[in-house]
Amino acid sequence: MTVRFEQSKPQFTGARVERAEDARLLTGRARYLDDLDFPGTLEVAFVRSTHAAAKLVSVHAEAASRMPGVRMVWTAADIHVTLDSPEFGVNQPVLAKDEVRYVGEPVVAIFADSRYAAEDAADTVEVTYADLPPVLHIREALQAETRRVHAERPNVMYHQEYQTDGFEEAFGNALHHLSATFTLHRQTAVPMETRGCMAAPDGATNRLHVYVSHQSPHGFRADLCKFLGVPEHAVRVIVPEVGGAFGIKAMFYPEYVVVALAALRLRRPVKWIADRSECLLADCHARDGIHDVDVAFDGDGRILALRDHLMGDSGAYPAVPFCGSIGETSLAARMLTGPYKIPHLSFTIDCTYSNKAPLGAYRGVWGPPASFVQEGVVDRVARALHKDPVAVRRINLLQPEDFPYRTASGFVYDPGSYAESLETALELVDYDGFRKRQREDRSRGVYRGIGISVFVEPTAMAASEAGDIPYEAATVRMEPTGTVTAALGLGPSGQGHETTMAQLIADELGVDVRDVVVLHGDTDSAPYGGGTGGSRSGTIGGGAALTAGRKLRDKLLALAAHLLEADVADIELKDGAAHVAGVPAQRLTVQQLATAAYTDVNRLPEGMKPGLEVMARYQPTRPITFSNGTHIAVVDVDVATGQIQTVDYVVANDCGVLINPTIVEGQIHGGVAQGIGEALLEELKYDTEGQLTTVSLSDYLLPTTHDIPNIRIRHLVTPSESKGGFKGMGEGSLIAAPAAVVAAVSDALEPFGVMVSSMPVTPDQVLEWIDADQEKKVDSVDSKVYFEN
Amino acid sequence: MIPSAFDYRRASSVEEALSLLQSTEDAKFVAGGHSLLPLMKMRFASPGMLIDIRSIQELQSIRRDGNRVVIGALCTHRHIANDETIVQALPALAEAAGRVGDLQVRNRGTIGGNLAHADPASDLPALALLYGATIHAEGPDGPEDYPVEEFFLGPMTTALRPTQLLRSVSFPVPDRGSEVYEKFAHPASGYAVVGVAAWVATDAGGIIQDIRVALNGVGYCAYRATSVEQALFGREATEELLEKASHLATEEVEVLEDVFASENYRRHVAAVFTRRAIRRALDKATR
Ligand SMILES: Cc1cc2nc3c(=O)[nH]c(=O)nc-3n(C[C@H](O)[C@H](O)[C@H](O)COP(=O)(O)OP(=O)(O)OC[C@H]3O[C@@H](n4cnc5c(N)ncnc54)[C@H](O)[C@@H]3O)c2cc1C
Repeated sequence: MTVRFEQSKPQFTGARVERAEDARLLTGRARYLDDLDFPGTLEVAFVRSTHAAAKLVSVHAEAASRMPGVRMVWTAADIHVTLDSPEFGVNQPVLAKDEVRYVGEPVVAIFADSRYAAEDAADTVEVTYADLPPVLHIREALQAETRRVHAERPNVMYHQEYQTDGFEEAFGNALHHLSATFTLHRQTAVPMETRGCMAAPDGATNRLHVYVSHQSPHGFRADLCKFLGVPEHAVRVIVPEVGGAFGIKAMFYPEYVVVALAALRLRRPVKWIADRSECLLADCHARDGIHDVDVAFDGDGRILALRDHLMGDSGAYPAVPFCGSIGETSLAARMLTGPYKIPHLSFTIDCTYSNKAPLGAYRGVWGPPASFVQEGVVDRVARALHKDPVAVRRINLLQPEDFPYRTASGFVYDPGSYAESLETALELVDYDGFRKRQREDRSRGVYRGIGISVFVEPTAMAASEAGDIPYEAATVRMEPTGTVTAALGLGPSGQGHETTMAQLIADELGVDVRDVVVLHGDTDSAPYGGGTGGSRSGTIGGGAALTAGRKLRDKLLALAAHLLEADVADIELKDGAAHVAGVPAQRLTVQQLATAAYTDVNRLPEGMKPGLEVMARYQPTRPITFSNGTHIAVVDVDVATGQIQTVDYVVANDCGVLINPTIVEGQIHGGVAQGIGEALLEELKYDTEGQLTTVSLSDYLLPTTHDIPNIRIRHLVTPSESKGGFKGMGEGSLIAAPAAVVAAVSDALEPFGVMVSSMPVTPDQVLEWIDADQEKKVDSVDSKVYFEN
Repeated sequence: MIPSAFDYRRASSVEEALSLLQSTEDAKFVAGGHSLLPLMKMRFASPGMLIDIRSIQELQSIRRDGNRVVIGALCTHRHIANDETIVQALPALAEAAGRVGDLQVRNRGTIGGNLAHADPASDLPALALLYGATIHAEGPDGPEDYPVEEFFLGPMTTALRPTQLLRSVSFPVPDRGSEVYEKFAHPASGYAVVGVAAWVATDAGGIIQDIRVALNGVGYCAYRATSVEQALFGREATEELLEKASHLATEEVEVLEDVFASENYRRHVAAVFTRRAIRRALDKATR
């Protein structure tokens, strides 16, 4: 069943409530990590490896110790902590020891009165390297004779195989086959606020306070305590305002251990904030995968079997606590059939070490690669059969009667609006009109193309980069004056949880949304929680807020019933007061109720405890729920220069019940922007020596407002079984967008036989493809496309 | 991304600026700072002292002097792009200045800094070449003029002596023809991956009487594409001829390669933008 969201209407849930966060963010009053300034704080500069693979012959940091303002210098000899990944048998020393394995790996830490002094001292450090042959490509790492990145471990660090019963037969019996290779280059999230942390011993409690820009306060505390070997009650983690996180801030990094240990050693605050080069060099990277794909289909375009060899580059170490290459490939493999009824699936996964930065989480994780493959396959089938890409999608898409649907990999999709979202997006973009105009455009030498991406987003999964916490907790306290203080274990970085969680709680308690304050990001005040990642906060966090709110509501109702001498069933709680149904005059404000609960406790009914404070955990009965939708992009390609401009963009989105449409749309806008970046701009480039050549934002290309067209959005609502009917939606837009944009490029260049098979699509590549076509007059640049029969 | 320590002084006159420069070994002028500071932040440049010349009033004006326009070294890109005299007399210069980087860059960056810095990807050097500008310098030994043809020597290298201050640039105003600037802007910085300034004058029959084409971003410094000019001079610019001539745009230079654009790609785009620039100059109403 699908309903439009306008129909669901408690007072705040579903309404376009203005974000509580915006005023401080827009007026510059938000306090980020680097705004915190404690007297006597030391700052850190890291000397980082300038070699991709080398033995450390010597590290001379004596001169640095003598520089003005320098308080301490550490090398691997001074700090013995390693970030252990027991399941892989590989440990990363927090300062490189004996060998460096990627450019940007921390080698020396300098602690000084200011960052300026620390950087000046860093310039004097002399490191002698003896180069080793760097391992830089997945296919190279897969060869047994290639040098091992970790001498004691094979380069293939993860391998998995899966096949549905009867796959070979289904594949072999199909009328048509085609093959293609899809390549995704490396990129990273580049949050506006870079990574960083500050550790300050607290004299009063003798605990360590750690301020960190992170997505998962409790997860961070657990990792830090584990590596430092200190108990959790001795560490308080505080996450100030976070200026974007996108997965890279769900990871744990060597710098954090160095900063915390130095603060403990020196008994003074120590702060490190990454600069933009460090962000590009040493934040975890993402993507960097290859898919060798074979597809079997019938004459109508029905896809019968899909096979993928997924290869992922893990970088030099498995990132802690989430190895990105495994996360990307293993979930991509299982989600590869996407919204389509493809009965047979076969996959092989290989993840390999390389002399590049570790791969971790970036928004969407597995999704952009899987969508790229899945939509690329559908478009190739359409092209091969000379059919419209929409027609092939209609044949393969899941229909309303198919739910719950068990995919070839064993996921069970809850109901969604898969087919409807496609039709809605087609109508929004005026697909038929576009096709007519496209013919005229081409005759004028204008190459405008349209690309479709129908996506499924598994959300609120038990395990994600935010950890393996399948529940979320909320405390809700009504203060004696009737206002509300809530706390959750989430780790927002711009998602607006202070608003959405307040909306849910306000509706439960019948109070104004402005009378609810939502705390987060402090392990001293927030209940233990999983943080924010994997599109879990709205669904699981929202469920926790509702559960706690409901518990408190029940208590308020009971109290009101007692004081008003009425039956509980007759009490209505809204607009800040409880009254007897049909007798508006017989009422008590929530303030009166709260005051009674705290200070007039003799009036409480028998058995009721004083106070209005609850704590509740919520674990969804279904461990996962699937959002869906369709993105359509329109691009212009200048065939003389290869430049691409995205000129139109529409989204039909279904994330179940919407808590706040404005916030949902903001999430979509951001994801589409990042998707355009992923499709057309962003690439971390390593040269043949393993040097990263994109170490500033003048070389790492990010999308700007000039690259993003107006985005038109329509909401569809298929409620989930989770409390509130919510589905997660933090990643779907980035999952869908790159595939839509590259499909539009393929469509624009259809007259040249171009079918995009790598991301990002760069202008010089476009020209090469067009030239190749004009020289060879081939049907497709993808030379592996072939037909049987 | 943090510069090493440096001293900072502010000069209020040309004389003071020059004497401060003489007083210290490794001092540098700073004007808008939008080329120098990025280099310092990456520690590619580490001057011991910055002499801020931004408050020198006499270097901030634009004036018409007969058939020349004299632009003070400290005039910002934004000032130049919006100045009525320049929009009228030197429209391609206004167009180029208006397409430098982004608004912040145009508000800070100066023509003096731009030409003195001589970044191969800057926009204004090609315009100086197109119009045949003269660079006026001032040094301990008095004033010195450099014809633009002798000014740009290589990447970040000019004929200006280390002891000299660039005081102003004067541009002769063409008495006929029309000119434009076409630019392929780098997607991140806005710098010219390729920038082409073209000036053409035709007779009533469409025969090209005079032509100048200058390019930024392509070679180690801005240059005149004389092969293109010669191929078109005295002829009618049919599409075929224009296409052929445009491909000569990189004949005389070693073409740059960087993270964004390979040598081949840049060569290709240089031809496309040369054709587009000349075509647009031809289509534009002449003086
Ligand atoms: C993000 C970004 C994008 C940009 N995009 C473009 C672009 O698209 N096109 C473009 O052309 N430029 C671009 N620039 C560069 C910008 O135009 C610079 O401002 C300009 O090139 C230098 O001028 P300035 O006044 O900032 O010089 P500064 O940075 O202050 O100085 C540059 C150099 O010139 C010297 N110098 C300055 N003034 C004088 C003088 N009067 N006499 C002698 N020496 C002097 C300085 O000592 C220094 O060595 C960009 C810059 C940035 C940061």
